[in-house]
Amino acid sequence: MKLTIEKLLKQYNHKSVLNEISVHIEQHQIIAFLGASGSGKSTLLRLIAGLEPFQGGSLSVNDHLLDQNDAKIVEHRKCIGFVFQDHNLFNHLTVMDNLLLVLEKVHKRSRVEAIPEIHSLLKDFDLYEHKDKYPHQLSGGQSQRVSIVRALSIKPELILLDEPTSSLDPILTFEVLSAVKKLAEEEIDFVIVTHEIGFAKSVADYIIFMDEGDIIEHGPNSILDNPQSDKLKNFLEKVLPFNQK
Amino acid sequence: MKKIFSFTLALSFFVLLFAFVMTKSIKRDLLFEDYILFRNVILSGWLRTILISLVSILLSLVIGLILYLMQESNSQILYYIAEIHKTLIFSTPLLVIAIVAYYYIGNSFGLKSKFLIGALTLGLYISAYVSDIYKGAIESIHINQWQAAKMFGFNKYQTYRYIIFPQVFKSILPPLAGQFALTVKGSSLLAYLGTTELLNSVNTVMASTLKYPEGFMVVSVGYWIITIPLIIVVRKLEVKVNYKV
Repeated sequence: MKLTIEKLLKQYNHKSVLNEISVHIEQHQIIAFLGASGSGKSTLLRLIAGLEPFQGGSLSVNDHLLDQNDAKIVEHRKCIGFVFQDHNLFNHLTVMDNLLLVLEKVHKRSRVEAIPEIHSLLKDFDLYEHKDKYPHQLSGGQSQRVSIVRALSIKPELILLDEPTSSLDPILTFEVLSAVKKLAEEEIDFVIVTHEIGFAKSVADYIIFMDEGDIIEHGPNSILDNPQSDKLKNFLEKVLPFNQK
Repeated sequence: MKKIFSFTLALSFFVLLFAFVMTKSIKRDLLFEDYILFRNVILSGWLRTILISLVSILLSLVIGLILYLMQESNSQILYYIAEIHKTLIFSTPLLVIAIVAYYYIGNSFGLKSKFLIGALTLGLYISAYVSDIYKGAIESIHINQWQAAKMFGFNKYQTYRYIIFPQVFKSILPPLAGQFALTVKGSSLLAYLGTTELLNSVNTVMASTLKYPEGFMVVSVGYWIITIPLIIVVRKLEVKVNYKV
């Protein structure tokens, strides 16, 4: 995936949460956004997704410049799979219908054609036996894995994952991260916002470290072994003792 | 078993109270012959009460939705039309509205049918409450459902049609059933317009036979046959709907 960000400005009520940040990334499969809470990493992910408007600068994904015009941004979103912090599955639909609804109504796929594809994805992610359950009948880890399958089912250009394990216990976190790792093995391009430094280090090939709305450091995952800035050093010192791999 | 015993005991309290009031205030036997004689008049009034309530609630479902959409639209004029309508209704007794609607509003629009004016008045009256039921139910849909819909490229119509309304439908059933019971009771006020619904039919018999206590009993039982099952349905639905998330 190619990501070009130029002087991107995002404000909420005149308060900047992204301070004219710029970064240019060439052909990396997996990018991880790291940083403390409130650093702006989730906001940046949502801007890439086209979920929120920005107030200045430009953003392009795989050389497509993001146009904030309503109709165009919808087309942009349709090419992106998104995994929310809190799965966001549709509560009134079974796992199967959650997946089918998006394919049928948005991507205009026929049901007959989509069902075998979904079955095979569910089997890949060990979810087939849960296909007729409702979200409230699933564990947090299962819901999040369904959410990953939903993102994958639309055959997206890339998948964005917004702290997919933030509300899970360590065992479920492991379960979900294994599913994310599967995306990596299948050579799907994705961006993940995460607090799991160990995971970022072993899976991501590019790291962006943010703090208070600025990109402090970015580069291949080796920057985590050899941080240049005090902020990243500090961050790793605080996080790593509990996050060793 | 304990439940039935407690219920019977509680019910006996009301029966005793009823018997006490009866023996103290009416110093004669209760005579229902006249009401049996006029059973067809009463039955047709009873059916009319059901019919007028059904038409009103159906009208209120549509008008209530229109009011909700007006308040959600970008037009301030539509917003205020709905807001003023609701405020007038919330602040005026139904009886006053019914009289004004029949003698003045209906008249100036050339409407003569008591049934039509009655149903329209009740429908418009309840619509203000129904619009708030819609509002509450739609607002109770978690933001993550809207976000997921937006992210996956559902348009506004599809979002409401496939994601929001199916969830709203379940949660509005209990308050709507409750509202229906209120409508049935409210329809009795239309007796003042001379609509031949249940209360008015029984009134006619009471006036000609002077058997007032019996008449009030007949009329109460007539309403209970409709409203008590509705109240039970509300209770059951409330338990059933409380499943999710």
